[in-house]
Amino acid sequence: MSAGTRDEAAVAAEPPTGLRDDVRELVVEDLTLRFGGITALDAVSFTVAPGTVHALIGPNGAGKSSCFNVISGLYRPTRDPAPREPGVRHRVRAPREVRYGDADLTALSPHKLAALGIGRSFQNIALSPGSTVRDNVLTGRHVLTRGGFLSGGLRLPRTVREERRHTARAEEICDFLGLADRLDTVVGVLPYGVAKRVDIARALAIEPTLLLLDEPAAGLNATETAQMAVTITGLRDALGISVLLVEHDMGLVMGIADRVSVLDFGRLIADGPPAEVQADPGVIRAYLGTGEDETDDETDGGATADGGGDGVPS
Amino acid sequence: MSDTLVKPSSAQPAPAAPKRRRNWLAIAATAVGLVLLVLLPVIIGTEVAYLKVAQYILIGAVGGIGLTLLVGQAGQLSLAHPFFLLVGAVSYAVLSGEAEADLVGLGLPPVIGLIGAVAVSGLLGLAFAPVAGRLRGIYLGVASLSLVFLGLWLGQSLESLTGGTSSGRTPPTFELFGFAFANSEPAPTILGVAIQKQQRLWFLFLALAVIAYLLARGAVRSRIGRAWRAVRDNEAAAAAMGVNVTRVKAGAFVVSSAYAGLAGVMTALWLDLVKPDENEFTGNYSLTVAIAFLAIVIIGGLGSVPGAVFGAVVVYGLQQFFLLGANEFGWFADAEFGGLTAVVLSAFVYGTAVVLVVLFEPGGAAAIGRRLVGRRAPAPVPAAPGGRDTPERNDDDPRA
Repeated sequence: MSAGTRDEAAVAAEPPTGLRDDVRELVVEDLTLRFGGITALDAVSFTVAPGTVHALIGPNGAGKSSCFNVISGLYRPTRDPAPREPGVRHRVRAPREVRYGDADLTALSPHKLAALGIGRSFQNIALSPGSTVRDNVLTGRHVLTRGGFLSGGLRLPRTVREERRHTARAEEICDFLGLADRLDTVVGVLPYGVAKRVDIARALAIEPTLLLLDEPAAGLNATETAQMAVTITGLRDALGISVLLVEHDMGLVMGIADRVSVLDFGRLIADGPPAEVQADPGVIRAYLGTGEDETDDETDGGATADGGGDGVPS
Repeated sequence: MSDTLVKPSSAQPAPAAPKRRRNWLAIAATAVGLVLLVLLPVIIGTEVAYLKVAQYILIGAVGGIGLTLLVGQAGQLSLAHPFFLLVGAVSYAVLSGEAEADLVGLGLPPVIGLIGAVAVSGLLGLAFAPVAGRLRGIYLGVASLSLVFLGLWLGQSLESLTGGTSSGRTPPTFELFGFAFANSEPAPTILGVAIQKQQRLWFLFLALAVIAYLLARGAVRSRIGRAWRAVRDNEAAAAAMGVNVTRVKAGAFVVSSAYAGLAGVMTALWLDLVKPDENEFTGNYSLTVAIAFLAIVIIGGLGSVPGAVFGAVVVYGLQQFFLLGANEFGWFADAEFGGLTAVVLSAFVYGTAVVLVVLFEPGGAAAIGRRLVGRRAPAPVPAAPGGRDTPERNDDDPRA
């Protein structure tokens, strides 16, 4: 068996392919998002360290997807206007709640993220069902290639050469994800689990340094989930990139994440290595709800349902 | 645990992928087809009326290719095609025509006029792009329809450009390096057939159509085609891949309008007349034409370039075929037919074809063609979890 991929020391000291210097830190700092009167995210902060698998988890409605959508540029953070005093000149400075390296992700259109090396997959597969696997994955090469209608239409030698080169790389990526024998298959006829891998292959095709995965195990059976876990750690090890995943499947998260951030009702309630987070009383409470308090009742025999939050059986 | 994973640069031999062999049969068939098309004036001989039908089909093909790129590849429904046809026709007449009493004409060389007309149409398409970027589906279709009415009104009001509905204006004779696409005496002959104006126009149209076809095929299988399809299928996903959705949508509209503009120039040369329509229902730039182009695209299979050519043969060919019958052989002359004209009858026929396609083969002629050739026959696959249906088309197939 290979050296433990989740061994923190090994990751920090000697990642499998050497830590790439273009993998940057994703910083989420004091991020707030409101929809009308509902606070979806309340001053959330966490950092995805380069080369790590970072999981964002939480019960339904905790704000995971909202957070994910802010990072990928689909939502903008809510910023309260600072109280202004008359007669005082206020210097307005954008808070830059989400940063990747030096880039302020809150100010970028979603399509600019790919050029920064941020790739994402989708919870509900968002591929072109009428196109082949190869063609879908090649779509990920968009920012790495040039050319519009005329250069494509004329099939200029330069364009054809570029096309050939990037097709080879796309096929390599498909190979990496076990899709080598599906290259010419139309995506619409693929089983769900395979289509999920195509989605990830397409995200990898932009050569990301940060990969955002939105519920990679959603809709997968146990076997496919296990395969997905192997894939995610494998691509991190092989490519040396960071992975941020939003996930429901606790088994998957605890098995592969280097660090876990837990959201509940829009607030960050825990942030740390999986083992630490798993033992966190707040997290257990968020996931098990009042059931945990009933356990209190049984063991302590006196704690009230509301106030007994601190007493967690170890 | 990661041992099972194939490293990206590992030397593991890839499973023997089927080598893409050159299909000599297909190449030979294409070559024979092209030779036949080039020799068509010789085959037809003196029956110029048949040649006019063939020319008209090429107009439909060029316009249809432009529309199938927009509707089928980029996923934007447009009924504005006749407007851009009108723009192309009028621009050609204005750019290359001579200034006359009440008419504006710049007198530029006809080649410049043709290219300019295509450019003007594309630019007007760009002007409509902000609308196209904000609407989708049937809403965009209805909004684009307004351009047909705008064209009707502008065509009738701007008589100094269009010549007005009563007389119109004559488009300048097309010339290429001093070679005029007009009758001449003596005329060159090929195999004993004099190559006069209509024969020359056929060669011009064929060249334009082949260029339009090859450009479209190349674009569909290249980066821009993938971007179109990505935007069509999921804008958020396309943006995540770095595709500038607004720009790509606008670009598709520009390309489609430019194709329509070229078809407009061809229409002007074919009719030897630029004349705005008298009403919105009949004429060369009317609602009927908008529907006809949509029928071309649907019958051919949404997004398929060869399909659009096939659709043009069905829709534009039938109409001219019936017109020919009416003129030459006196079809529909019977009053008993109750006002059935060539145009109405062809509309019935292609309308039926559209209904049949939608009911029985949503992939259109392109899907039927693929099945006939027997490539990549979609295996009967049980519906994937998530209820996605099995698509019948494969629209990135370069040979589709």
